[in-house]
Amino acid sequence: MSHYIPPTHETDPDPLQGRSALIKGDPSFAEITEAVARPIEMPHKRWILFFLPALALLSLLPISLGWLFWEGIGVWGNNVPIGWGWPIINFVFWVGIGHAGTLISAVLFLFRQKWRTSINRGAEAMTIFAVICALIFPGVHVGRVWAAYWLGPVPNQMEMWVNFRSPLLWDVFAVSTYFTVSSLFWYVGLIPDLATMRDRSKTTIRRMAYGFLAMGWRGSHRHWVNYESAYLLLAAMATPLVLSVHSIVSFDFAVSNLPGWHTTIFPPYFVAGAIFSGFGMVLTLMIPLRVWFKLEHIITIKHLENMAKIILLTGSIVGYAYSLEFFIAWYSGNEYEAFLFQNRAFGPYAWGYWIMMSCNVITPQFIWFKKVRTNPKALFVLSIFVNIGMWFERFVIVVSSLHHDFLPSSWDYFSPTIWDVTLFLGSFGLFFTLFLLFLRYLPLIAIAEVKSVMPRANPHFVDPDKKPASRDHHASHGEVSAKSEPEPEPEPEPEPEPEPEASKDEPEAKEEAEPEPEPEPEASKDEPEAKEDAKDASESDDTPEAEASSEDHAEDADADEDADEDEKEEEAEKLLFSPPPSDKTDAKKDGKDNG
Amino acid sequence: MSAHGHDEPVVRPEQVNIADSSMWKKIPMIAGAIGIIALAGAFGLKGEHDEGFYFSYLTSTMFWLALSLGGLFFVLVQHAARAGWSIVVRRIAENMALTLPMMGLLILPVVFLGAHDLFHWTHAEAVASDPMLTWKEPYLNETSFRIRAVVYIVVWSLFGIFYWHKSTSQDSATGKSILDNSHKMRWAAPLGIAVFALSLTFSAFDWLMSLDPHWFSTIFGAYYFSGAVVSTHAFIALIVILLHRSGYLRGVVTKEHFHDLGKMMFGFTVFWAYMAFSQYMLIWYATIPEETEWFSYRGAGDYLALSIVLVFARFVFPFLGLISRHIKRNPKTLAFWAVWILVAEFIDMFWLIDPVGPHNAGNHHPAIEFGLVDILCFVGIGGLWLAVMTWGLSRKALVPVNDPRLAESVHFENF
Repeated sequence: MSHYIPPTHETDPDPLQGRSALIKGDPSFAEITEAVARPIEMPHKRWILFFLPALALLSLLPISLGWLFWEGIGVWGNNVPIGWGWPIINFVFWVGIGHAGTLISAVLFLFRQKWRTSINRGAEAMTIFAVICALIFPGVHVGRVWAAYWLGPVPNQMEMWVNFRSPLLWDVFAVSTYFTVSSLFWYVGLIPDLATMRDRSKTTIRRMAYGFLAMGWRGSHRHWVNYESAYLLLAAMATPLVLSVHSIVSFDFAVSNLPGWHTTIFPPYFVAGAIFSGFGMVLTLMIPLRVWFKLEHIITIKHLENMAKIILLTGSIVGYAYSLEFFIAWYSGNEYEAFLFQNRAFGPYAWGYWIMMSCNVITPQFIWFKKVRTNPKALFVLSIFVNIGMWFERFVIVVSSLHHDFLPSSWDYFSPTIWDVTLFLGSFGLFFTLFLLFLRYLPLIAIAEVKSVMPRANPHFVDPDKKPASRDHHASHGEVSAKSEPEPEPEPEPEPEPEPEASKDEPEAKEEAEPEPEPEPEASKDEPEAKEDAKDASESDDTPEAEASSEDHAEDADADEDADEDEKEEEAEKLLFSPPPSDKTDAKKDGKDNG
Repeated sequence: MSAHGHDEPVVRPEQVNIADSSMWKKIPMIAGAIGIIALAGAFGLKGEHDEGFYFSYLTSTMFWLALSLGGLFFVLVQHAARAGWSIVVRRIAENMALTLPMMGLLILPVVFLGAHDLFHWTHAEAVASDPMLTWKEPYLNETSFRIRAVVYIVVWSLFGIFYWHKSTSQDSATGKSILDNSHKMRWAAPLGIAVFALSLTFSAFDWLMSLDPHWFSTIFGAYYFSGAVVSTHAFIALIVILLHRSGYLRGVVTKEHFHDLGKMMFGFTVFWAYMAFSQYMLIWYATIPEETEWFSYRGAGDYLALSIVLVFARFVFPFLGLISRHIKRNPKTLAFWAVWILVAEFIDMFWLIDPVGPHNAGNHHPAIEFGLVDILCFVGIGGLWLAVMTWGLSRKALVPVNDPRLAESVHFENF
């Protein structure tokens, strides 16, 4: 932390020597807010172009569900050996996609992967919507939908209880817990940004709506302390869920005695596959969005590259599991198992198997080449293949294991009906509709979190271009204090949470500046050509008064670029940088015995 | 970098170089001598028809091999993920991986001398009368078994030596070659992980799973792997704590690093439980006799108690014990759990190997057999292992002093 190496802005440092800035172009905090919030505040003509088709696709959902409820599940292609057809395939497909969000927000958070901040919001939204889509399928697969509430252990007068020994029931608990925690996590992360949106609102309705959801967030220190610990605790709670949900989904298959389903690697293999497909979908969504929303400096090539690497890793784990399954099917000496795998690869569903193999195992191997993984177009195509491959994986698991069961007389071939297809497309319609609504009303990027990983959030940040004088001052002072102050200061933790603190004061500053909306009327409203003016206006919102009222929040000074001549700012900066406490403690720490 | 300027080094030589007068310089000799004596004693005690000897030998070999492989895995992952926090403890893992060539030599007796005692499927007459073993013969036959063993050993040794060599030669490198070394190590890491995953899986199949040649489990490789990784983090923490006691690495490896090592111990403890539970639960639930058999004799006689001990020693207690951050940040409590985890790893290896031993053949009340030979094997192989490890440790700097991001690691803080 304290040994902060300022990143060079344009060219990345050698990756082995330093860490490059995650956000490109060295924007100010105000510019980040502007870049993320602008698409929500402008009427987005292109948005309608996408929203209408999504609605059209969504309309397939009530139609197929209505017909299903009227006729019963006989409208699907499910037949006697293949009792689980597309609905279960689609369920597992969507739950799998719903894995990346929580992995990115919880697991990568615990692993201190700061790049997650640019993509976590979108990925979490994707997760929640994917889980909603997933929940439809088992819900309607029960046949008598009006009795679907029996899935839960609801006491009733007939003393009928769920079968606690069935993994299908565990699924109900696992997926609903996952949905609850993911939603909470997403919402908690949204609160500071909702406050930002509230403070930027130009209409009463927006202000009321965002204000209600922001739950009175004022960005005070106490708010941030609570927020940070809630976030960490939720991350710790969500991490086992990332593993448990898909493990339990895998139990649906693996506890059975069916060849092709019963194998011990299933839980971790399903989890790896879920993460694989989830990241595939994140790439599919983010690659176009970063261009359309002009967020290429926030979701950079580096972010795409990192996601691609996770796809390579999880894709290879999936490939490892496929091969092991095959090997053990032979090694076990179980002729049914061996037959099944032979049948999978060379039988009537060989096409499905090889689509799965090539999409999930071979496609990701292209990521070994830097040219591929730094090329958004190539990654987009690759991510589509990943999505297709993972759907086919579930198809292969469900259908190829069931269609040749132990009774050869009942062997059958599975063909979907039109209603299988429309229901699946309808679920895509639901997913895209929800996602587009999210894009329209909520910030796609976690504004506060992105700011916290920017160089400016570092308490020792000195803008190398703009403030050469104060930088020298800082350095010389640091030297002096490092050499001349040996008095013990036992606290080796300088500022435990400098970053969030820095990132918070933006909304706060806004808030304080809000009462006087004078500069806005002519500049704002909703005309797209007012963009530039709006930007200026919001920059001048960070006016010196706002700053001065929060002396301890130095980053405002950096956020405001047009006020260099302001003396107050100079002073505030001197104040901030003159006693660099951590330099002292560092000097101490080198010699300090930690043992 | 900022305020210190470039004249002040990130670590001072006396923090990271073992002094000539230090005990650490003598450990290689002492441990090596004890190891040789103990191993000679173990072989001496091995009677003419002592079929149980190689079971004891294999248990200790797999225990120490887990630490070597875990060390290699640690190094590979830190390079692949370009981790910053771990640079100051990476050299210890590199030294652990340096033992791989020697562990390769020590596994050779199992493969070439002890295979008949250990592996039922090596007996031609047994294979001929058992259709299952006949089926498996293309994989489970001595020729391919030996070839595979040599391949694993060569691959592991190459990676172990490569990383140790590149990293230690970086210490004395200057100019451009400093970065060259880093680049090469990083470049090889993803490749190494792929090779590592396959070789570890199949070696676990060969040396542990095929002890009961009828039994099979796809997750078995991952099971051995998870135990190896949790033990590796425990061992690294333990070595650092011991070095701190001798006055080294103070201020270089701080409680922030202990905290992270503790988190990894905690996380991989849960991961091991996840692997073990997946394997057990799915087999228990499906109740297919050819699979449940493996657990059924681990639930009979003395082994029932051992199985329960394993669950508590390997998961329940360390899980509860390592939750608190204060425990992870305190070297004394962390050392306690590190030792605990290493003991649990040995129990796990014993639990995997001993029930198949000859003393339990046809026994309806299988009994644990743990005696002097087991102790001598453990001390013997462990002595040699520690000799190589500490030889590397005391000969070179304790941290990669020229790593371009060493400062980031030294000054690392948890949020």
